[in-house]
Amino acid sequence: MDEINYTLAGSWVAASLRSASPLMLVLLGETLTQRVGIVNLGVEGQMLAGACFGFGAAAVFHDPVLGLGVGALAGLVLSLLHGVLCIQLRVNQIASGLCVMMLGTGITSYVGRVFVGAEVSGLAPLAGQFASAQSFWQPLLTQLTWIAPLAVVLTLVAGVLLFRTRTGLHWRTVGESSTVAAALGLRPRLVQWQGLLTGGLLSGLAGAVLSIDYTQTWAQNMTKGLGLIAVGLVIVARWNPFLVLPVALLFGLADTSVLRLQAAAVNTSSYLLAAAPYVFCLGILVVTHLRADRDAHMPAGLKAVFNDR
Amino acid sequence: MLRDYVHRLLRPGLLVILFIGVILLFFILIGKPPLQMFWSMLTYSMGDVFSLSETLAKTTPILFCALAVIVPARLGLISVGGEGQLYVGALTGTWAALQFPDAGLWILPVMLFAGAAGGAFWGGITGVLKAWAGVHETISTLLLNYVGILLVSHLVYGPWKDTANLGWPATRSFPVNAILPKFHATQIHLGLLIAMILAIVLHVLLNHSRWGLSLKILQRNPAVAALSGLNPIRQTILVMLVGGMLAGLGGISEVSAIQGRLQPTISSGYGLAGFLVAWLSAQQPMRALLIAFLFGALLAAADSLQMFAHVPAASAVVLQGLIFLTALIINQLPSQWRIPFWTK
Amino acid sequence: MSAAPRFSLQNINKRFGEVNANSNVNLDIYPNEVIALLGENGAGKSTLMKLLYGFYTPDAGEIVVEGEPLVAHSPKQSLRLGIGMLFQQFNLVPALSVLENLLLAFPAAPWWQWRRRRLTTDVLACLQRIAPDIDPQRLVRDLSVGEQQVVELAKIMALNAQLVILDEPTAVLTPQEVERLYQFVAQCRADGKVVVFITHKLADVRACATRIVVMRQGRIVGDWRTETVTDNELIQAMVGKDTGLIVNRIAPPKHLLPKLMVKRLNVSSRVGTITAMDFEVSPGEVLGIAGVMGNGQRALAMVLAGILVPDSGEVILDGVSINALAHETIKVPDNVAYIPESPLTNAVVAQLDLATNLQLRALDALPFLQWGMPALHEAQHKLAAHDVRPSDPHLSAGALSGGNLQKLVIARELSRPVQLVIACYPTMGLDLIATRNVYERLFAQAEQGACIIWFSEELDDLLRYAHRIMVLHGGRVQSIGPVASFDRQRIGRLMTGHAQAC
Repeated sequence: MDEINYTLAGSWVAASLRSASPLMLVLLGETLTQRVGIVNLGVEGQMLAGACFGFGAAAVFHDPVLGLGVGALAGLVLSLLHGVLCIQLRVNQIASGLCVMMLGTGITSYVGRVFVGAEVSGLAPLAGQFASAQSFWQPLLTQLTWIAPLAVVLTLVAGVLLFRTRTGLHWRTVGESSTVAAALGLRPRLVQWQGLLTGGLLSGLAGAVLSIDYTQTWAQNMTKGLGLIAVGLVIVARWNPFLVLPVALLFGLADTSVLRLQAAAVNTSSYLLAAAPYVFCLGILVVTHLRADRDAHMPAGLKAVFNDR
Repeated sequence: MLRDYVHRLLRPGLLVILFIGVILLFFILIGKPPLQMFWSMLTYSMGDVFSLSETLAKTTPILFCALAVIVPARLGLISVGGEGQLYVGALTGTWAALQFPDAGLWILPVMLFAGAAGGAFWGGITGVLKAWAGVHETISTLLLNYVGILLVSHLVYGPWKDTANLGWPATRSFPVNAILPKFHATQIHLGLLIAMILAIVLHVLLNHSRWGLSLKILQRNPAVAALSGLNPIRQTILVMLVGGMLAGLGGISEVSAIQGRLQPTISSGYGLAGFLVAWLSAQQPMRALLIAFLFGALLAAADSLQMFAHVPAASAVVLQGLIFLTALIINQLPSQWRIPFWTK
Repeated sequence: MSAAPRFSLQNINKRFGEVNANSNVNLDIYPNEVIALLGENGAGKSTLMKLLYGFYTPDAGEIVVEGEPLVAHSPKQSLRLGIGMLFQQFNLVPALSVLENLLLAFPAAPWWQWRRRRLTTDVLACLQRIAPDIDPQRLVRDLSVGEQQVVELAKIMALNAQLVILDEPTAVLTPQEVERLYQFVAQCRADGKVVVFITHKLADVRACATRIVVMRQGRIVGDWRTETVTDNELIQAMVGKDTGLIVNRIAPPKHLLPKLMVKRLNVSSRVGTITAMDFEVSPGEVLGIAGVMGNGQRALAMVLAGILVPDSGEVILDGVSINALAHETIKVPDNVAYIPESPLTNAVVAQLDLATNLQLRALDALPFLQWGMPALHEAQHKLAAHDVRPSDPHLSAGALSGGNLQKLVIARELSRPVQLVIACYPTMGLDLIATRNVYERLFAQAEQGACIIWFSEELDDLLRYAHRIMVLHGGRVQSIGPVASFDRQRIGRLMTGHAQAC
């Protein structure tokens, strides 16, 4: 009896991790981007690009790993556009992000038509059939691919990079104030490019994980606002990579619960359930915002973007 | 004097030429003959009475959505919530229309009011979240778009579905009196007239009234609000209510006049197009009026091209993205090159 | 002055747009000197030193270091040459810790920044030497301005500067912190370093300079050894004329029935806290408020202006409770003139025209619909009367200089009779003549019977013009009394919370 409970718990954890991985990656990317003082609403489009082109590459070359790489690159390329607009040309970041989002949505709908219905072979699970069957680890090893551990490790690495290295110190300084950073002899634009492109890479990877590893299909607009949710959740994670992990997991758990509720034949409209993540996201945004100390964690460079234009 | 006029005509002229260039480039990129395609676009959007009526029919919701972006933008809020507000306005308006199947003509204003109220409610959520909890309006409007659309899907596939339709997800048809009157046999309906009147009213209010001045002050420096006795919280909620109301009107007029019943898909990207129109108009309602017409033409032509020339529907989104990109870049060019289309 | 100059500025010219910031400036700096660079705001002192530091490039002229002319000068090169500069605007990142800020300034900081690495300890040792009492793990934003300045100095010293340039270092300090800074300068001199001390305060000059260089309108107009020159000569050199800079103190009010009453006020807010505050002000009385910035001044000003609702207590002006009004709409009452600190961010809308800015306090008086400029005629009149330059009402407020902006705010707030004037640092950043004009307008209101609440950091001016002085510390009234019972030292001790008794 206990063993079955453990297995059940394990399968919940596995399912949450699986559904949280794409969000974790894109949330991490946006966190790093915002740490250098750039808000990128374009991650939605970048995720779509990663999902679409990554899936295409995986389907055409029958290689999921290649697909993930191509997806990450696609995200990177779109984030380049955001960088040209808002770092080089000083376009309003919100507008520039919306533009990237629009182009990402449009181009992937256009190009992605040929991938609808294609098939990819997903990644292999961490371990094959576990002979000793029932245990907490069994579902984790059989249901998870190496993506989830990778996402977790990346958040930890990013945290160490940000808080314990000179590079991270430079990133945080630029995010606080480009002017001060420049006066200290740093090159703010260069640092901003680093943070932005890292974010682009991660968001593209997140999209590719979604289409290649999680759903294993491509559909138009399949990210359904996950990138935008990530932009919102950065605030909840207090611009801290170490907090990205619990926040994404919480979201993954909520997502899993909704799916399982539905599977358990609770009589609720699937459309209303589909709206749950957005409402949930807005809800925790309100709760986070109402806490008095939220501004204490916000990189000062972002205040200009968020508070006035 | 004369030079001034030449300049004022030249700038928008140059921009239009530039955007046409973008469109031609796009056709080259997707491997279609650009000039021929562009000519088709012109004929499919303005070539005859039918095309023109299609264009004006699409202009209507775009103009509503553009005004819905312009009003909050006057307070510095970047609302991208036209789409969601349009759906919720359509939803509440439909509810009112279907409540009274045997109603007289009085149902028209009631229905429009219900639609406006629904849109205002949806926009108001963003306003309240912004004013009381500081949630950024761009994020909340984008997320609420998804929720609004899913709400309509839920009702149309579920409780409101007309069983007589068999598998087809839609409500019952609107009663005859709840259908907005159209101009002769065209698709041009009363909504266009309402939108145009509202654009003029907003032009006067935003540019020449004390209220417009208050918004200007609050947008530029909220710190002086207390000196003037202005209330930023009240104004934030107010502009979002007004914006939502406008998009909601767009939603219910579209459903009532064009579709005749509520379906899962009401808008073919009107919210997005409206946002672009507002941006290109530099938040000026009268300019938005003209630009909305051009975008109406673009969407109408895209519809026809999809049917007759197998140009995928996604092209319209890509094209709008490219136009937005071009506009953003031009606005940042060094000042001697800049064409200050929207810096007054 | 026998040796060759270590640093030499030769025929320096620098223009900013229409303004000649420096014209034909020659300055030699010799070893072991402390030079006070004295002059009014806008005299070109900071510009000259920023040229030496490499922050700006001169339009003409040469900078020579140890006999070698510099080419392609830059702050980075200054670092190598041992030139360090303390700016008025600190280059600190408030959200980072003291240690992180120090590491940022180090070109050779280690990539891995775990604690107890060798270089990290080197950096810490430097801080330890100047300021043993600052915990390196504290966030810079939690430090006082004086402590932040010390961190900046530690950065400069850690880079082993031989020439230390201090730009108006005492403007933001308490008297005790000023003493500490003087000691620091003396220590630098003892270590064989050269110090250039930019200031407009004669007290600074007398305390630590060996040589005094006075600038006016971009030129050097005087160069003395400290002991050979009198204060009057210095003032005359700075201003160019010596008449009319002192405003007469207005007579203290005759009848002492209070007009403004503040009772048991408690505020706890984002802008500051106030604890159990009580005071009264008579009509025609000028109450000067001293204190280190951030000790409740902002909160007090906002409560008095009716735009911050206190947690408890009352503010009564002319028999009417201001806070009762505040609950309905947040608005400065019409009989109160409010001159907040830094007008550009707090009192005007930079993008809007002057006429609209003058109208900000009376928007309701405008017609609902209107074409064209609001109250144009009145605006022209006010701009001329207050000598705002340029006086074109169509101009946007952002185009005005700091002094003219302050005049604009004063034109709006003080050109009608009011009951209460709240002036927060109204002369900050103004030159002597502009300062005099502000004081005249301010005290004219007192003569007509208004209460004046005047926040200032210029202790000398407070002592010269106020009738009573109130010292704030930690949101509490540390002391309040007639001006005769105060002197600089006493105010200084009270400001820092020391010595209630003396």
